[in-house]
Amino acid sequence: MLAQLVVTGVLVGSVYSLVAVGLTLVWGLMDIINFAHGDFMMISMYTVFWLYALLKWDPLVSLPIAALVAAMIGLLTYRLVIKRVLNAPGLMALLATFGLSLFIRNFAQFLWSPNYRFVGESILSGKRLVISDVIVGIPQLVAALGSIGMTFAVALFIKKTKFGKAVQATAQSREIAELMGVDTEKVYMFTFALSGICVGVAGTLLSGIFPVYPESGAMYGLLAFVIVALGGFGNIWGAFYAGIMIGLAETIGGFYLGTQFKYAIAFLIYLLVLQFRPKGLFGW
Amino acid sequence: MKKLLAVLVVLLSLVVLAQEVIKIGAIFPLTGAAAATGVKIKYAVEVAQEIINGVYPEINLALAKSAGLPNLNGAKVQFVFADHQGNPELAMAEAERLIRNEKVVALIGCYQSSCTKPASQIAEKYGIPFVAGSSSSAALTERGLKWFFRIAPHDGMETVFFFNYLRYLNEKYNANIKRVAVVYIDNEYGVHAALMVKEKIKDFPEFSLVADVKYPVSATNVDIEVQKIKAAKPDAIFHASYIGDMTMFVKKYKEFNVVPKVVLSYCGGYQDPQFVVNLGKDADYFAGTNATTPALFAKMPILSKINEMYKAKSGVDIDGPTLEDFASALVIAEAINIAGTTEPEKILEVLKTHTFEAPYFVSEKIQFGSDGQNIYSASVMTQIFNGVYEAVWPEQYQTHEPVPQFPDWKKR
Repeated sequence: MLAQLVVTGVLVGSVYSLVAVGLTLVWGLMDIINFAHGDFMMISMYTVFWLYALLKWDPLVSLPIAALVAAMIGLLTYRLVIKRVLNAPGLMALLATFGLSLFIRNFAQFLWSPNYRFVGESILSGKRLVISDVIVGIPQLVAALGSIGMTFAVALFIKKTKFGKAVQATAQSREIAELMGVDTEKVYMFTFALSGICVGVAGTLLSGIFPVYPESGAMYGLLAFVIVALGGFGNIWGAFYAGIMIGLAETIGGFYLGTQFKYAIAFLIYLLVLQFRPKGLFGW
Repeated sequence: MKKLLAVLVVLLSLVVLAQEVIKIGAIFPLTGAAAATGVKIKYAVEVAQEIINGVYPEINLALAKSAGLPNLNGAKVQFVFADHQGNPELAMAEAERLIRNEKVVALIGCYQSSCTKPASQIAEKYGIPFVAGSSSSAALTERGLKWFFRIAPHDGMETVFFFNYLRYLNEKYNANIKRVAVVYIDNEYGVHAALMVKEKIKDFPEFSLVADVKYPVSATNVDIEVQKIKAAKPDAIFHASYIGDMTMFVKKYKEFNVVPKVVLSYCGGYQDPQFVVNLGKDADYFAGTNATTPALFAKMPILSKINEMYKAKSGVDIDGPTLEDFASALVIAEAINIAGTTEPEKILEVLKTHTFEAPYFVSEKIQFGSDGQNIYSASVMTQIFNGVYEAVWPEQYQTHEPVPQFPDWKKR
């Protein structure tokens, strides 16, 4: 049973990680807490759902479009909301993204009703791997592998490319980065778009497993905050490890202590870490 | 001239009286996690309002034959909607607002028992009637409230219904069901349903409770919950879940190859027709109590007509919880009409003593006991076959024979 729980924990945690990676990028770069992050995921899930319902596109085929839609929402969010509050006191940005979150959820309900929807039959649905006593659902496995791959790609992109270096420089000091010729405005804008892509991919991979409804992203958004704070603000691999840790804590702790406590355990770990290491486990 | 003026004043006041609007508060989850159901209930209450305020001679209901409330000079009824978003505190605040600001004379709601509980406490404080339609937590009618009434069978009644059904399956179909698991959401509805299972199982010694699985509200996955259930190897699973989580459970039952003999659901997610839309063939063989099912429409012409009006608004057939909240709207309006006044004490007297005709339920009537609970259970046991909710028990309402053994997922 323990092997099954570990596998499940890692699979669940991998997807949490990818949602958190998008959030940590923005948080680390701009000190902005994007409350609407989970709602970007919800929009990408709806994109996948509608492409499936209207055109019978498989979620895996819709993935680039859903990621693009989330990226566009990220871009627009920066241009229309964040840019205006970037230099205002921190609370302003917080309230702005909170308001945006409420707007997106209610607008989604207005457009598509609050009904819970699922992508029915997809290439992966119903398939599973059975290794000894361990059962692994293929949709969940693909979601986890996709999340790990995407996290790796983002980390590589930030570390190796010129744009990634500009992101790192801006995160350390906006003024100095500008003096060195970095267009920080573009950095901010494209980081928001990249954050959208991460959450768009996560949303697509989840749309075959999790119901699509206006509140779909709420719990994922909340867990992403915990993971980012646990992993260290702006630390991509920190978010990844913290995501896995939360997935395992939720699964193993929930199984042995009571399934009703699974999120309480995750939040307790977060509180404990913050007590002893406020910058998170992998923060610096 | 003075006489003419006096006549005019009298006539004018009669017209004003005739056009009086009686406001009734209706608090439901119109946004938030349970909004899918809340919005459907709103459509049903709107249908009730149309029936009360319009003329529908083809519907054999007391308030359908004439426009408005005949005993109050044809006064129209207006249901004033409020959204509690699934939040008990908001339900309480909205109840207070409706009573104080909107001057409603009664309240209905709130679907989720966790919200019905505080909202009805407010009605109690102000001394106005509260008629709950579909909230099923037995705790609601165990509080000794004076002004609270509930139409749906509570989860204690449903639990007894479940065990009696299992007994029927064992006796008639030799189903050999012994081990029971209860799976429930961590809120008023789920927790109380589970409590009832633990209490009522004592009266059914042939069954034993082998798993008690509580899961958080807004769960992002139910993997470990399903693994716990699988490890317990139950013959029957009782579910107190909403549509989103119930759908996730079914997907995981399939993935982890959990094959109980029967799965029975309390009033909640299973009853929502979206359950079948979401799951297709995988929804087959699940069962649960329901105040209605489309399979019964052919046998119940008034229900069929109500459904016709409802479907025109919502695009889907009316389901059990929605019909129960529809009933709450009709009952409170009828009580006001019989009382012939909006005076609370007189409405209360009617609610306590009158037997309301309800030809849209299989029981055909509603009567509240001393605790405010409808003593006539509106439910039948339903089971899904080829995407259709068929009535399987009690036998007199049967539209399809029950299947007491869940087929293996691979053989579907």
